[in-house]
Amino acid sequence: MKWVVIGAHLQRDDVGPVAEALPVSGLFLSAVAIADDRPLADRDLIVQIAGARAKLLDRATFVAIRYGFAVRDAQEAETKCAAFAPRWRELLVAHRDEVEMTLKIAAATPAARPDRRDFSSGADYLRALHDSARATDIDPKFREAVERTVVPLATQHRWTNRDRSSVELSMLVRRSNLEKMRNAGEDLRRTFAKVPFLMSGPWPLEVFADDHQQ
Amino acid sequence: MADESQEITLLETLDHLLDRGVVIAGEAVISIGDVDLLYLGLNVVLSNVDALMRSGQK
Repeated sequence: MKWVVIGAHLQRDDVGPVAEALPVSGLFLSAVAIADDRPLADRDLIVQIAGARAKLLDRATFVAIRYGFAVRDAQEAETKCAAFAPRWRELLVAHRDEVEMTLKIAAATPAARPDRRDFSSGADYLRALHDSARATDIDPKFREAVERTVVPLATQHRWTNRDRSSVELSMLVRRSNLEKMRNAGEDLRRTFAKVPFLMSGPWPLEVFADDHQQ
Repeated sequence: MADESQEITLLETLDHLLDRGVVIAGEAVISIGDVDLLYLGLNVVLSNVDALMRSGQK
């Protein structure tokens, strides 16, 4: 048996009965037990974990662990996660009342994908791919409306160019502001009927807990 | 339209599960070594953008 880890939580009660709680340096990892020979790529398992994640978020905000991390037992969890615990505790205390929301907006004009044959080295090609994603932008009027109506409802926000076809706004939002946030999304939908975008959430602490995104 | 909305919601959920959150040592091995998961991850992202575009065009 192995444990697929879902997230890190401040209190044991935040986890049960949705998942098992593995203690780690004073925090608790939510985890689901699976057979040793069950592949992590099993689609039913992935959907099951996604469902458990949503139920856990209903109970309390947690730090999301990216899917794919599994441990044999609580000892292995402690060994691999103890170094993260102080940072997770800090995040969980600071953002206990907040969740993440995401606004994904299709690019106004998707940037052309660089052609590998135009580059003499792989490094130059990768740099061009990265640059083309960073150059992606959205309708400036839409962006201005988002900055004016949606961003003020968030306590923190971050624009990210994830790929060549979309730009994403990640936001930390107080739970008490979720309804206002959704209403602001509906207003955008009415005002900018031709701009493809998707407001989604609430999500656990994902972007704002990932130090690589800082 | 309801089915498409549900499809987008599921894809967005999977996109977050597979592409966000704290990365712990070992996760990358699974993503690279397990072709099926890598395929699913790419498929989710690609489908997600496609579905979003289709939704916006209606």
